[in-house]
Amino acid sequence: MDAGVLAQYVFNGVMLGVIYAMVAVGFTLFFGVLDVIQFAHGDVVMAGAFVGLATYLALHALGIAAPAVVVLVVACAAGLGMALLGAVIARWLILPLRAAPAFNTLLVTLMLGSILRELVRLFYPNGSNPQPFPRLLPAASANLGHFTLRLDTTLLIVTGLVTIVIVNLVVRRTRLGLAIRAVAQDSETARVMGIDFERVVLVTFAIGSALAGFAGVVYGLYYNEVNFDIGLLLGVIGFSAAVVGGLGSIYGAILGGFLFAALQTIGSVALPVSSAYNNVFAFAVVIVLMTWKPTGLIAEPASERV
Amino acid sequence: MTGTAASRVAVDSQRTDLVVAAAAVAAIGAWLWAFLATDRVGVLATLLAVAAVAFVLAQRAAPRYRRALTARPRVATSLVVLVVCAVAAALRDQSYPLLMLCTVLLFVVACVGLDIQIGHCGIVNFAGAAFFGTGAYTAAVLAARGVPHLAVIAAGGVVAALVGSLLILPVLRTRGYYAALVTIAFGILFSTFLEVNDALGGPQGLKLHGIDLFGWKLNRDVTLGGSTASFYVNYFVLSLALAVAAFVFARRVERSWLGLAFDAVRLDEIAAATFGIGVARAKIVAFTLGNLLCGIAGAVYAMMQGFIAPNNFTFGESLILVSIVILGGIGNPLGILPAALIIVVVPQKLQFIQEYRFLLYGVLVVLILLFRPEGLLPRRIREYFPGSAA
Amino acid sequence: MTAAGETANGPTRDTAAAPLLACAKLTMRFGGLVALDALDLHVVRGEILGLIGPNGSGKTTFFNVLTGLYRASGGRIAFAGRDITGLAPQAVYRAGIARTFQRSRLCLPLTVFDNVMIGNHLRLSRGTGFNVFRRRALRRQYEESVEAARALAVIFNPQLAARLFDAAGALDMIDRRRVEICRALVNAPRLLLLDEPSAGMTRGETRELMDDILQVRAARPALTIVIIEHEMNVIERMTQRCVVLNYGRKIAEGPFRAVAAERGVQEAYLGQVVA
Repeated sequence: MDAGVLAQYVFNGVMLGVIYAMVAVGFTLFFGVLDVIQFAHGDVVMAGAFVGLATYLALHALGIAAPAVVVLVVACAAGLGMALLGAVIARWLILPLRAAPAFNTLLVTLMLGSILRELVRLFYPNGSNPQPFPRLLPAASANLGHFTLRLDTTLLIVTGLVTIVIVNLVVRRTRLGLAIRAVAQDSETARVMGIDFERVVLVTFAIGSALAGFAGVVYGLYYNEVNFDIGLLLGVIGFSAAVVGGLGSIYGAILGGFLFAALQTIGSVALPVSSAYNNVFAFAVVIVLMTWKPTGLIAEPASERV
Repeated sequence: MTGTAASRVAVDSQRTDLVVAAAAVAAIGAWLWAFLATDRVGVLATLLAVAAVAFVLAQRAAPRYRRALTARPRVATSLVVLVVCAVAAALRDQSYPLLMLCTVLLFVVACVGLDIQIGHCGIVNFAGAAFFGTGAYTAAVLAARGVPHLAVIAAGGVVAALVGSLLILPVLRTRGYYAALVTIAFGILFSTFLEVNDALGGPQGLKLHGIDLFGWKLNRDVTLGGSTASFYVNYFVLSLALAVAAFVFARRVERSWLGLAFDAVRLDEIAAATFGIGVARAKIVAFTLGNLLCGIAGAVYAMMQGFIAPNNFTFGESLILVSIVILGGIGNPLGILPAALIIVVVPQKLQFIQEYRFLLYGVLVVLILLFRPEGLLPRRIREYFPGSAA
Repeated sequence: MTAAGETANGPTRDTAAAPLLACAKLTMRFGGLVALDALDLHVVRGEILGLIGPNGSGKTTFFNVLTGLYRASGGRIAFAGRDITGLAPQAVYRAGIARTFQRSRLCLPLTVFDNVMIGNHLRLSRGTGFNVFRRRALRRQYEESVEAARALAVIFNPQLAARLFDAAGALDMIDRRRVEICRALVNAPRLLLLDEPSAGMTRGETRELMDDILQVRAARPALTIVIIEHEMNVIERMTQRCVVLNYGRKIAEGPFRAVAAERGVQEAYLGQVVA
């Protein structure tokens, strides 16, 4: 294969990996703190993208067009909006159900995802059709043989990686992060030590959801299109990526995200079937990986006490 | 002397309880007929309000009368079957309400299967619609090749169970969230695969002919003593028979050592294994039985509708099936019929909410899980042989 | 009924006969942590053996390895002459070893009868066809099982027998323990493992429970029991011999009084010799 074509695939794969990693980190944070899988997380990404889109349209209507400003406002709106949504979800749906069987939380978040999808489909103007997402980043590109190095994609990759690094730093180096890790390890003791359990949970969900909001905007800027049902695929892959990397480990989630992107890219290149089968392949990979390594490639440290 | 008098009073009060319970079931039947028959929004809204009020008021008195019924399972089942038949008879010349009733009954069959998996054995299955769809597509393919229809229906179930066995290894090796993830992935994979695969009709789907069971052509209108009834009456008889069979089957499974094994596996796998229960075997049996029922229901559904397409069997539809199980009361197949009626019929009748139904189901289930997780009819303590002295 | 303070009389120990259970160099490693360290332990047919040691010494781990919940990292376990190392929990149960758990593992939403019958599943299970279609035969089996469960419960407590169809969650701690023991006994095991049966109970309740266990033993003299306990009164009363573990290794063995006086044992528990 031509080096340029290969480089293109790798480049696109990295972009995809960044998006998946951003989603996976959220899953892993929520699981670490509350032992809970927020099945609606993928749809939070979608909601973030739509909030970003709506913000752009509002800014456009107000006549504000300076790209740097617009991008910043859009990203912040999506991030903050989703942080708020995440905190609300934690406060009203997740925390009240933590004494109930795990199946209830699972189902509640699954239904929540469905609700988010339907709200967008029904109440966003023309919501059931794909919405074009504006090109807000500089369109410059450099051609290196068959490989087109696009500036906007590069910016997205860098931004995505930076946000992941920031979240990782927050968790590893700040007092807040220490509180989060304490609660993740042993919530009883953390409480006894004076850590406000509920506040930590709300903040964790806010952070993870904000990250998801950014991921939604990144998604929109990359594909230049968003749709009400992108959340399902993203959620399933993000969750699997987090599981494969080992639930509770941020590095594992990042690794898982890139692994999935790699598999998907290889699949679309290697398999002689039409691109319509891409999604089918992705889901099949999820099932196979879950069968092979249900506790992740990096072994889960906790086990049930007998 | 006082002994016999006291016991006679007890028997009398038991009889009155039973009569009251029977009257209640009949009243529900009448309500159902009215709800299905009318098209006027005002009437529908009133009926719904009446039902809500009655449900709330009945909470106190209900246990006594419910016990009167559940102590005599055969009487209870016959009563419900009778009432449902009466409703169908009253609707005999209205095709659309009958079709709705049949759809509900077939969903009941599938949901009973799902309840065995989720409610009894604790296997999370978010691909119910995929197994339902497997039965449907199997029926489409086989019936087109001239396979006799009884075999087609059975094959629908068997193929669904076989496809399920492909999924079993992951389901066995994973637990809790992972099993949910695997079944969600499978459910989406199924409908996506059907959409891109033109050999099975692609997004346009497949057409089917009606059922012909040994000469009984279900697509022919029924003439009884001069009056003509819609041909859906035939499908009603078939669906009702399947629903009753599925219900009795599930109830017998629950009231047996097999049901006990399922519960043990669901509540505490480790303890179950320590006392000799084969955990993997129990899960395989539960998963297979459930998928068998889904497949059979799907096959009949396909032939009844005459047409199936991938978007009949999406992940959203799987969520609907799970919603029915949750609303009805997880682990209690009795609640599945009222739940299916609510979830399938109400949006169809109130057309203005049809568009919003996924949203409403989502909100409904969230509310149930937050405030009344046991559902409409909570699961009751196991009585192996109700009414027996033990 | 044995009065409080008396020790149980077991059958004469035949030291020449092969032990019922023999562990040789049993090792269990969890990553870097060695929970069982080349443990050599045997249990004689018909005896009541006490297994004691400070927290974390590997007692429950030993039970877990024995019953197949963990796979031993090394060593062998022989039961009634058969090598049972590495068998699945179901196979170990089939061989005749039953247990209770330190943290009560009853299915609380199920009835007492259901919980006890979980222990009887090996005998009852006959497959889907039988359970669904042969209802009359099932009913007969059910009624026999109810009688058997009642008979078992009555040994412990007539009131327990009356509550056979109450939810297990409605019982108090001591009755739940009794149900757990019934569950372990219903399949007539050869070896019964009790993991801290007195945990969470008052002195009086503990005495009652031990009376019950001795009553069971009296009805089944061939039953061999291993008890993990922290309550030394129980060990002293119930056992003829005990084994002391520390850091997964056996540090003492013998009748309780003798073992309790050993310096090594006191150091293990208290960290220093008691004057």
